[in-house]
Amino acid sequence: MHRTESWLLTLGPLALSLAAFAATAQETPEDADREELLRRIDELEQRVNDLESTAVMSEPETRVRRIEVWVDENGVEYDEPRPGTRSVVTYQRERAFRRQTINEKIEEALDDAASRSVAVGVDAAIVLQNVQQTGGPDADADGNNYELASADLYFTAGLAQNTIFYADIVGLSGTPPDNEVGGLTLLNGYAARLVRQNELNLREAWLMTEVFDQRLQLTAGRVDLTNYFDHNAVANDETTQFLSDALVNNPMLGLSENGAGLAAVYDPKSGFTAKLGYQQSSSAALNLSDSLFYLAEVGKLFTPFHLGEGNYRAWYRTDNSSGSNQKAFGISVDQKVTAALTLFGRFGSAQTDGPRDKFSSVGFRFANGVTFNPEDAWGVGLARTELGAGDEESLVEGYYNLRMTQKLELSFHLTRVTEEPLGAEQVSYLVPGVRLQASF
Amino acid sequence: MTISKLAAVATVVCGASLSPWLAAQEHDAHTAAGSAQEVKITDPTSVVLIVNRDSNDIAFMDIATRKIIGSVFLGNNVNPHMAMMSHDGRWVVTGGTRANKAYIIDVPTMTLVKEIPVDFAPEHLAFSPDGRYYYQGNPDGDSISVIDMVSLTEIKRIPGLVEPLNITFTPDGTKAYIGNYGAHWVGVIDVTRHELLKKIQIGEVPGVARLDPERYLGEIKGVSNASISNDGRYIYAADGDLGIVGVIDTRNDRVVKTIRVGADPWRAFMSHDGRYAITVNNGDETISVIDTAHNEVVATLEAGPDMTGVNFAAGKAFVISATSGFVYVYDMASLKPAGRIKIGVNLQLETATTDTADQTLYLASSTDHSIYVIDAETEAVERIANVGLYPWGTHIMESKDNYCH
Repeated sequence: MHRTESWLLTLGPLALSLAAFAATAQETPEDADREELLRRIDELEQRVNDLESTAVMSEPETRVRRIEVWVDENGVEYDEPRPGTRSVVTYQRERAFRRQTINEKIEEALDDAASRSVAVGVDAAIVLQNVQQTGGPDADADGNNYELASADLYFTAGLAQNTIFYADIVGLSGTPPDNEVGGLTLLNGYAARLVRQNELNLREAWLMTEVFDQRLQLTAGRVDLTNYFDHNAVANDETTQFLSDALVNNPMLGLSENGAGLAAVYDPKSGFTAKLGYQQSSSAALNLSDSLFYLAEVGKLFTPFHLGEGNYRAWYRTDNSSGSNQKAFGISVDQKVTAALTLFGRFGSAQTDGPRDKFSSVGFRFANGVTFNPEDAWGVGLARTELGAGDEESLVEGYYNLRMTQKLELSFHLTRVTEEPLGAEQVSYLVPGVRLQASF
Repeated sequence: MTISKLAAVATVVCGASLSPWLAAQEHDAHTAAGSAQEVKITDPTSVVLIVNRDSNDIAFMDIATRKIIGSVFLGNNVNPHMAMMSHDGRWVVTGGTRANKAYIIDVPTMTLVKEIPVDFAPEHLAFSPDGRYYYQGNPDGDSISVIDMVSLTEIKRIPGLVEPLNITFTPDGTKAYIGNYGAHWVGVIDVTRHELLKKIQIGEVPGVARLDPERYLGEIKGVSNASISNDGRYIYAADGDLGIVGVIDTRNDRVVKTIRVGADPWRAFMSHDGRYAITVNNGDETISVIDTAHNEVVATLEAGPDMTGVNFAAGKAFVISATSGFVYVYDMASLKPAGRIKIGVNLQLETATTDTADQTLYLASSTDHSIYVIDAETEAVERIANVGLYPWGTHIMESKDNYCH
């Protein structure tokens, strides 16, 4: 009241008259009823308006929930622990008052149906390449055009907690330039590790599960160990990066075909990874002991010299594909220098019956802005292969990958390769190419 | 005539000068019942708010004992989305998404004192720095309701926004920046007039977008939040479809830099020391760490699926991966991954708040109706079960990690 008086004095006669009006205003019961009715009408109008606008489902939502209960020796169940009870996990229906719009319900149903079904994906590509000989004695490939169409059909299904099945069926049609160029490495990486063309091949079929708090991933079946070993952030994918196989994988891995095998990947998500695996790499093998490759790899994330993140990996391989155990080792590095620029490098050395085979590659990739469109990327890579027997190959490739849509990419490639066979004249080619890649 | 109507008349006749007092009288009348009730919370900093979406209540958990002190039921089918405590600890406000109302709770007595009809699907909200206004975003109504915390009424509804998801006030309280998830711009609100001043475009949709109607004409993922730097100088606004963070200078409301981050960034989360902004990129399951001194990405690190938020504590960043059941940990000194904390299997993790000492996280886990308390130093986890149905988020007064999703 004291506060009221001070306000009124300040505001003068107008406020005084308003206050007097307020003080004398008397509400009859009829007025109160009318006020209440008007309020209710406003409320109902608002609710009708809401319903018309959002079409909500008002029935309680029912769902099943995993719960922990405590059961005594007589089978009596309690919600809380009690002496003489043991913990049991069970499932129970619950209801909740939650309004959902019809849209939410439909989306939920569609998501649920999708999660229960087998997911099917398609990866299709057409690669056009032309070969121009730039040096050496006349070769068959000079001036020829090549086209390879590839279609991968892959299936994924969830089988259990953290366990999936995956199968990849691939069909290749057409001819890559490699049959006529006859280089040490493939100019078209799509044909790598596939024996037969112009027919359907089962590229991969495996079960994968994760154990020990998902720190350890185990994959077994028909596998491609290059999916697990010798990774590289910017030179590891013939579908969006370099086309030449020498800039996709390290040939010193020695894997020529996919086959039965197992891969174990330990990844505690701390920047360190350790991998072990074996794989048979010959379709002519008669038992699991033939042509068996064992691989091990460790990887670590570093940020040297205040640069961005760099992934450094070292691998070791032993195999009996040539009848006796032979060993190889290699490294794969990708180092981010700026947000746009990433450098990469690989090195590998493999034991043979004679001098060691050696391989090295370096290059870079630009992305994130130094491109025509935001999601484009381009890169240049050099690779050098030296076989212990004396054959050598030098290769340089540049590409620009234009991401047209989320499902469609077009890339332009220019490759120069020089083959230096032992005891024969050096021959060089310039190989322009175009790749159209669709994934959906 | 009711006092509120008298207040309205007085406002018209006398301008604004009389109305605050009359409104305060109404306010006192509203809380008269509350004042007669037992005071249950004497220290508002001692509790964690838990937003229970499906039991339609706000629960109060005592930080020291980790027990639920009580909860305030809002009504059937209200489905609250986010709650926030006023800067003075007097009020808790929340938007009832399916009731189209804002709710105001008196903290000391844990009493619901006011329901205020607002626009469609109220979700995220913020208090002005002086505590005078509470801005309630209504994403389905494309508007913001301005609630006057003196009269506890909606004094204005600001139209012209496009799915306004989050509200960020400048420290001086003169402007508010609105993330519009249905567009690629940030709205600037003049807080003195409660009007939309400007639309700041974060980035241009690339020309190649015409080839991809499925992506750009389907569901839009625009700007979910305008995150402000510690000094209030810059706004960091991530745009999901464009994969960028636009840096806005709040002095002239211009984009001074556009930073490309990973695919489909949800929003930028500011580290407590102000040195870094982290975006969670759900498109490629990475996080991008932006150095705010140079406004460039200094690290892009592997993370998990369906990330909802980032909390900072004990020199680490904790990234919540909703569907994997993991919280990913990153060392903020070396900017490297530091493992991940397994919360459980078949869980839906929501969002977390951090205590003001930057030592403990309170993570809401909706499907098992629990809060997980994470010690940031030791990474030990304690489950607090049965806090209410479908806890959607948590809040601690004046925490630096109060956000929603």
